[in-house]
Amino acid sequence: MKRTVPWWLAVGSLLFALLAPATARTRPRYGGILHMETRSDPLKAPDGAARRLLFDTLTQVNDSGEVVPALAVSWESQSANHRWQFHLRTGVHFHDGSPLTAEAVEQSLSAACTHCGWRVRAVGDSVAITSESPMPGLPAELTRSMYAITRQGADGNPNGTGPFRFVANSNGIVFLSANDDSWQGRPFLNEIQIYGNRTIDEQWLDFSVGKADLVEVPAEKLSLAQQERIPLIITARPTDLLALTMSDQLITDPHLRQSIALALDRTSLFNVIFRKQGEITASLLPNALSGYSFLFDTTMDVGRARALRGGQSVAVRLGVDSSNAALQLIAERLALNLREAGWTVHVVSQATNPNAELSLRLLHVEAADAQSALRETLADFGSGLHDDISDPASLYRAESAFLQSHIVVPVLYLPRAFGVSARVHNLVLSPSGVPQLANVTAEDVR
Amino acid sequence: MSLRQKLLLVFSFTVVLAVATVAWIVSLRTRQAFTKADEQHTAALIDQFRRELRGRAEDVAVRVDELAASDHVVRIAVDLAANSDPSPYMAEAASLARDHQLDYLEILLPDGSIVSSAQYPARFGYKEDLKLAGDQPSFLKKEELADGTNEIGLFALRKVPGSEPPLYVLGGKRLDRGFLANLAAPADSQILLYPALTANFDASAIVSSAGAVERATRFQPIIEQARSTGQERRSVIYLTERREDSVDAAAIPMKAPDGTVLAVLVVANSRRALVELQQHIRAIGYGVAGVGILLTIVASLWITSRISRPIEQLADAASAVAAGNWDTQVEISSRDEVGDLAHSFNHMTQQLSEQRDRLVQSERVAAWRELARRLAHELKNPLFPLQLTLENLIKARGMPSADFDEVFRESTETLSAEIANLKNIVGRFSDFSKMPKPQLEDVDVADVLRKVSALYEPALTQHQPPIGFECRISDEPLRVSADPDLLHRALSNLVLNAMDAMPNGGRLTIEAGRRGESVELRVSDTGTGMTAEECERLFTPYYTTKQHGTGLGLAIVQSVISDHNGTIRVESTPGSGTTFVVELPSAVASAAKA
Repeated sequence: MKRTVPWWLAVGSLLFALLAPATARTRPRYGGILHMETRSDPLKAPDGAARRLLFDTLTQVNDSGEVVPALAVSWESQSANHRWQFHLRTGVHFHDGSPLTAEAVEQSLSAACTHCGWRVRAVGDSVAITSESPMPGLPAELTRSMYAITRQGADGNPNGTGPFRFVANSNGIVFLSANDDSWQGRPFLNEIQIYGNRTIDEQWLDFSVGKADLVEVPAEKLSLAQQERIPLIITARPTDLLALTMSDQLITDPHLRQSIALALDRTSLFNVIFRKQGEITASLLPNALSGYSFLFDTTMDVGRARALRGGQSVAVRLGVDSSNAALQLIAERLALNLREAGWTVHVVSQATNPNAELSLRLLHVEAADAQSALRETLADFGSGLHDDISDPASLYRAESAFLQSHIVVPVLYLPRAFGVSARVHNLVLSPSGVPQLANVTAEDVR
Repeated sequence: MSLRQKLLLVFSFTVVLAVATVAWIVSLRTRQAFTKADEQHTAALIDQFRRELRGRAEDVAVRVDELAASDHVVRIAVDLAANSDPSPYMAEAASLARDHQLDYLEILLPDGSIVSSAQYPARFGYKEDLKLAGDQPSFLKKEELADGTNEIGLFALRKVPGSEPPLYVLGGKRLDRGFLANLAAPADSQILLYPALTANFDASAIVSSAGAVERATRFQPIIEQARSTGQERRSVIYLTERREDSVDAAAIPMKAPDGTVLAVLVVANSRRALVELQQHIRAIGYGVAGVGILLTIVASLWITSRISRPIEQLADAASAVAAGNWDTQVEISSRDEVGDLAHSFNHMTQQLSEQRDRLVQSERVAAWRELARRLAHELKNPLFPLQLTLENLIKARGMPSADFDEVFRESTETLSAEIANLKNIVGRFSDFSKMPKPQLEDVDVADVLRKVSALYEPALTQHQPPIGFECRISDEPLRVSADPDLLHRALSNLVLNAMDAMPNGGRLTIEAGRRGESVELRVSDTGTGMTAEECERLFTPYYTTKQHGTGLGLAIVQSVISDHNGTIRVESTPGSGTTFVVELPSAVASAAKA
């Protein structure tokens, strides 16, 4: 008797044969090398691109913005948030094979926090952190890369517990290899090469010829990248605060500081330079975090700015990172705005003029919740948030009180974005805009 | 100044004047020629610059035209017309400027708003203060940059063809060292550019094709003049204290369309060649003048010696004649006027000698005649009474003896007296003829005068009426080489004569003092004085104005003084008295002469 294959089986097999490679393609595969490029030094603290791959923190932020366990599996607060105790994950080892201990965590956190006001103490398999001030947001605080747990290796190389271990740093290229013993599980990629100190043009050129898999796309070039159809991944919310800071010791008259704040034309910057990427702001926190950002007035009022300046002929320097062309352009634009209000402004390099009266800064806000973000931002500006406040109204009052002095004038909130080549899969960004490379796969094995 | 010196001066002055005049004329003409050449050179450079500027302007215009008509810009214009959001083109100008090799580029909306600026990207949205009226000739414009500095550029404004609403392109090239480098300035010329970007002069802003300019402040006056007047200015500028480092500078104001001076171009030609040539000419002139003067002096010395020597000889001869050497002769060494003069001089002195001899002879004859006349006259006076007395005596022979004795006695007395008188006359004549030669010795004239004064002062005092006497002797040494006795005698005669001249009293003054190399003695009276004729004849033997006397006294005095190599003269005016002035060579002069 002749055995015939049923037509449905043949068709099904054919379909399976066609679809199987696609399915295989989408299924994570181990192996591959990822070529990443950044403008900064990958190993530079606190947020060099390699650090999140080499080191872990006690806590981390998930995709939803929640604080979840990392090296610490649990924690509790005592004494009205004056004391926290973090219980460490067991079975975690540093890249050099040494175990993660409470003493190592104590040592690392104590070194990272010389001005925090914390006292870190190993207690058995946990770490206790105490402070004279309440620390209601400490778990969120500890998600920041500056509090990554590191341990000095015998060879002096970076030594952490992250999914990737340090291999070499040669000619500005940081070579990382997969940590097979990572507590998070071995990452899919075998190796990551991070090319540091690359300009945006260089990164895009490498990206366009297929040399780079992951490149930075600054906010001012997002529109252009979109025009050029570069595959992008963008943070869900703005993460970088562009702000103008003033020295209250050099510009002591609050009216003058207010004059400066009123002379800024945020709209032009937002519309023209950033092509409506990000958001205009006069607040320290983005609206996505605080929800009340719109309450801060962003209107430009040159007439009032002139009036507040009075008849004084004031000459000031505006310091900026002159290696960043976008910031340089923004600084020059702000200088023009201020000249309209009667100010004489000279744009200077921040490096050679650290004591300039004005300074244009771009701050990365890592924290995922409003309180932590406000605390982090205030700390960046030399202030603090000591009260345990989490409700929006209190946060607004605290933020408003700080901004009233006009020592810091927020200008824009900008997103972070990366160009991602087609061979890279499963790349997500943390809420703060850090590429999560532990779960990334690369299509081809090089 | 001697004739030779005068001739030397005249010749030298003539040569110097001639050489100086020639050198000045040559220098002046050279300077004029060089100045003219400089002006032409400068004018040529200025023309070249203007051509270059026009060329640059055309080049800018062509580039901006191409850019405005380019597909890229036209597409931008179309996009903007369709979608009025200019923000996507904010960064376009920089790349367009690079592609079209422009230093400045702005894309402008119809209202002048800047869509994109290559030189000042942050100025997007701001308005350019320009009249946008279609294609315009290229123009100068001051451009403000992001770093706060200003630059001057050559711009062209073009409307993008077919754009509606119109889109404009404002492009330009910087006016800087690179622009100056295109001006092929000769090696001895400099072309400088001063961008007038500040109200006050800023020397550091002056640039040349070689970069910074040394001593830029020296150009400040001409630049400020050109800037303030808006007119071209020319001037000589000294870059250092040395003339060789001066330049002939022309400042050309470069203006914006509204007439504002935005920059000043300075064309500076080095004057080194001119100055060095002038100095060279001057040096040659000085050298030639110096050599000429030297030669002139040598020639003058020879010429003047040839000219002046005969004249000097004549002058010396004339002096010798004046000194009494009447038979002086000069050498006749030429046949010109000087030779004629010498010949005439010799003839003159010969004539003088002959005349003097004749005069001496005739004077001698006249003197002898006068002497014979005077002697006859003197002798006749006593001889007549002698004759009368003898005649009386002869007559008295016939008288009684008592009467005869009386007459005999009176006659013999008369005869004795007259014979004594005769003897006196003859004695004095004999004395005069036998004046002894002086026995010279060193004599103090003051002593002799004191002796004479002592001898005659009593007589003067006792004279009726009395005669006042004053003796003034100088404190200087008054030593002479003389015979003290003869000198005493001569002075005594003068004193006696003075006394005789004042029968009615008066004053006698004797003075003695040095007068050069002579000792001067003056015997003055306040008598009636004498006429000029009387003065001339005073020293003639037997001439007298007195009733008594032989008339030989002053002749003897003159003879004595003459034997002492002295002189005597009389100064007298009728009614004012008489002064006899005796000059004797002093003992030192006499010794020197000896």
